[in-house]
Amino acid sequence: MKEYDVIVIGGGSAGLAAALEINKHRKSKILVLERDAELGGILQQCIHNGFGLKVFKEELTGPEYAERFINELDKSGIEYKLNSMVTKMHPDKRVEYASAEEGFVTIKAKAIVLTMGCYERSAGAISLPGKRPSGVMTAGAAQKYLNIDGYLVGKNVFILGSGDIGLIMARRMKLEGANVRGVAEILPFSGGLKRNIVQCLDDYDIPLYLSHTVTEIIGENRIEKIILSEVDNFVPIKGTEKEFEIDTLLLSVGLIPENGISEACGIKMDSKTKGPIVNESYQTNIDGIFACGNVLHVHDLVDFVTEESRKAGQAVVKYLDQTLDQSSNYITLQPGKGVSYIVPQRINQKNLSNSIELFLRVTNEFKDVQFTVTSNGEVIKSMKKKHLAPAEMEKVKLKIEDFEHIKDQITLSVEAL
Amino acid sequence: MNTKREERKREILVLFLFFYLLGGFYMYDVIIIGAGISGATIARELSKYKLRTIILEKEFDVATEATMANSAIVHSGHDPKPGTLKAKFNLLGNRMYKQMSTELDIPFMECGGMVLATSDEEANLIGDLYKRGIENGLKESEIQLLSREEILELEPNISDLVLSGLNLPTTAVTFPWEAAIANIENAMDNGVELALETKVISITKDNFFTVKTNKKTYQGKVIINATGIFGSEVANMATKASFETRARRGEYYVLDKDVKVANRVLYPVPTTKGKGVIITPQYHGNTLLGPTSEFVPFEDVSKTTAAGLEYIKVNSLKLLKDIPFHKVIRSFAGGRATSSTEDFVIEESSVEGFINVCGIESPGLTAAPAIAVYVVEELVSKRLELKSKESYNPYRKKVIRTIELSQDELNELYKQDRNYAKMVCRCEKVTEGEIIDAIHRNCGATSIVGVKNRTKASSGRCQGGFCQSEIINILSRELEIDKTKVVYSKTDSYVLIDTTKGDFE
Repeated sequence: MKEYDVIVIGGGSAGLAAALEINKHRKSKILVLERDAELGGILQQCIHNGFGLKVFKEELTGPEYAERFINELDKSGIEYKLNSMVTKMHPDKRVEYASAEEGFVTIKAKAIVLTMGCYERSAGAISLPGKRPSGVMTAGAAQKYLNIDGYLVGKNVFILGSGDIGLIMARRMKLEGANVRGVAEILPFSGGLKRNIVQCLDDYDIPLYLSHTVTEIIGENRIEKIILSEVDNFVPIKGTEKEFEIDTLLLSVGLIPENGISEACGIKMDSKTKGPIVNESYQTNIDGIFACGNVLHVHDLVDFVTEESRKAGQAVVKYLDQTLDQSSNYITLQPGKGVSYIVPQRINQKNLSNSIELFLRVTNEFKDVQFTVTSNGEVIKSMKKKHLAPAEMEKVKLKIEDFEHIKDQITLSVEAL
Repeated sequence: MNTKREERKREILVLFLFFYLLGGFYMYDVIIIGAGISGATIARELSKYKLRTIILEKEFDVATEATMANSAIVHSGHDPKPGTLKAKFNLLGNRMYKQMSTELDIPFMECGGMVLATSDEEANLIGDLYKRGIENGLKESEIQLLSREEILELEPNISDLVLSGLNLPTTAVTFPWEAAIANIENAMDNGVELALETKVISITKDNFFTVKTNKKTYQGKVIINATGIFGSEVANMATKASFETRARRGEYYVLDKDVKVANRVLYPVPTTKGKGVIITPQYHGNTLLGPTSEFVPFEDVSKTTAAGLEYIKVNSLKLLKDIPFHKVIRSFAGGRATSSTEDFVIEESSVEGFINVCGIESPGLTAAPAIAVYVVEELVSKRLELKSKESYNPYRKKVIRTIELSQDELNELYKQDRNYAKMVCRCEKVTEGEIIDAIHRNCGATSIVGVKNRTKASSGRCQGGFCQSEIINILSRELEIDKTKVVYSKTDSYVLIDTTKGDFE
């Protein structure tokens, strides 16, 4: 059985950044396993710009952003395998994969980094009422057909869900000559970034229907029509039905971390993020298995994925050097009022250097509020916030000195000013 | 002049011969209308004999209606009204399923079943249901009364409402569309023909039947009407039918395979409306919740509704304590045929040689192999001589399911064909080799859903989000059609409508 120091599962933005970061700090035998025919992951189909503003201080397209990492990987000598899909992972860090070049192979590593990314919530998962004709697909699938395969999926399009991919695809379909009839969002606020609402919908006069959802799919072979209804707290309001004749319904109704192999291996999940529960070092409950990027929690920007994966990579280096404290005296982080999740979910204070950034999402839109960090009832810190929305990931920084007042748990909540 | 006349004569002769042969070409001993589970098992049964048989199916693929949308259960035979055809063929069918599944390599899971009473009123009915099971022919080893404690030991997730129940160890789970596909494939291997997208328009009888379709016209000596919800409509083409079929819609939820809520089939106590919302673990690890049961117009049978799905939620939570509805990966609906006679209609109609196999609702999937034997041996035999065919092979070529193989077996397979290590569907772990095989068998896959129904590819949690484009590539290459001609499920249900501007290939 071939042995590695580190196996990185997934060669997208997270996997590439983690592998490079490990290689930068420690001479290690690293293998990146990628199921696709090329590295870069979903970035390769994101041909629009807007990537890299934080990491490279310039605006790049998805493939350009990926290319920088791929070039660096090629120079680094890190080993990678394409068309290689991991089918199973074991707690003793054996990894099984299938590849057309090698067949079915089992390898072993000292550490594993999970960077499988996420998948799109499907029409099936949201149980759209009506029939099951063709022409209903996720926005990301349509994006792949259009940008990678070179095929158009429809000419008269409606988009359900205002996630970022949906917004990007509204503009993309419009530019391809399609008639984009509108975007509907069941919530009273958008699920995508503000800048995407402006640049993809407003600039192209594509209407956004907030508090609306599709209440029926009509069509025998190919989709012909949808019924759109206004909702009151998720319940369709009778009498508000509007009919749209379309040939395509794209869905952008959420991204779900891809943790099939993680769960099968016994890695504990956070029911809110749908990703592994990790500590300050991005380590899961299984010793030596780390997770970062969209497999951990869904990020707004690839830049954040890169930053997080670099930090995870540094932790892997410490793990390999056996300088990572593995004791389980954890401070647990609890989402309080108005907060849906916090990553990491627990902190071993001994592994902190100067500070730690907590990533979180809020449950609702808020204006002029504050984040409050409390530990066993005692307020540790609070920060004013002008505007909060579930679509925008928030950061809260805790300094090492803040921990002087922290006991075994921290609660983070949104409070009125 | 002479030579010209002779030439003309020869032309006429050739033309005459052509039409004579053409007539003969479309002359069949048996024409089966409908490629659902009933038509499928009858076709296979007929293929044992020296008979020329064809199946006419109006849809793009086989097994697309009731066979597609049902609970996949091989019922024990405990609940049909004693003395009915449903009771008779259910029990017989249940006892034939294992052998059929072995011969045809159809997934078969002998998980057992239980009826759960969730109120005092229902608990009182359990005793009657037990008696009914015994009356229907179940042995005492095949049906037992259970206390709440006994149930809890076997099914720890039952709700607090459950008071008592019935154990039904002979209940099993099949994979219904593969059951139909495998029967048709085996029938075709044994000489039966299949015509898809062929909708019957009229049926007349002279010396034999003439069946006009949207495509060709067929002639046959015996007609088998296995058209599900369209049963009486097709029967009426031959003569005024003695029954009427209506469509009852059943809606379902599918849970992802990584959650297990029950170990066996869990039934509520049946009512006059049917078996009720059932919890059914599936062979591949998913769980099916449903069905609803309501009469709807034919065109609405495959339409899911918010109300129907809510009904399933409420009712399945009567049986189980905890169901992770966030793990729902799909919902679907399908029509089942209910006859006005409230029983299966399996008879030769008043027109000699026109056989109705109609109203085959639950337990039709279970009963199908037994119905097939009865139809062929008791009804077809009256009109056609059944001469055994020595070449008949009851076995279907084994289906390679890589997910069921060990790593050594996989590598052995890989040495023969590298496509068995090309993973296409990551959720269900289906390889390109399996998809290619499913396309090139008799009754092979010709659509994305066709591939899904034969291999499970794209039926997992991402519902084809990642692999659908690869499945289109494979279908396009193997069927030698343009990608824009690859359909999702039905005729003209294209996914890609055009290439984008520029040169891509």
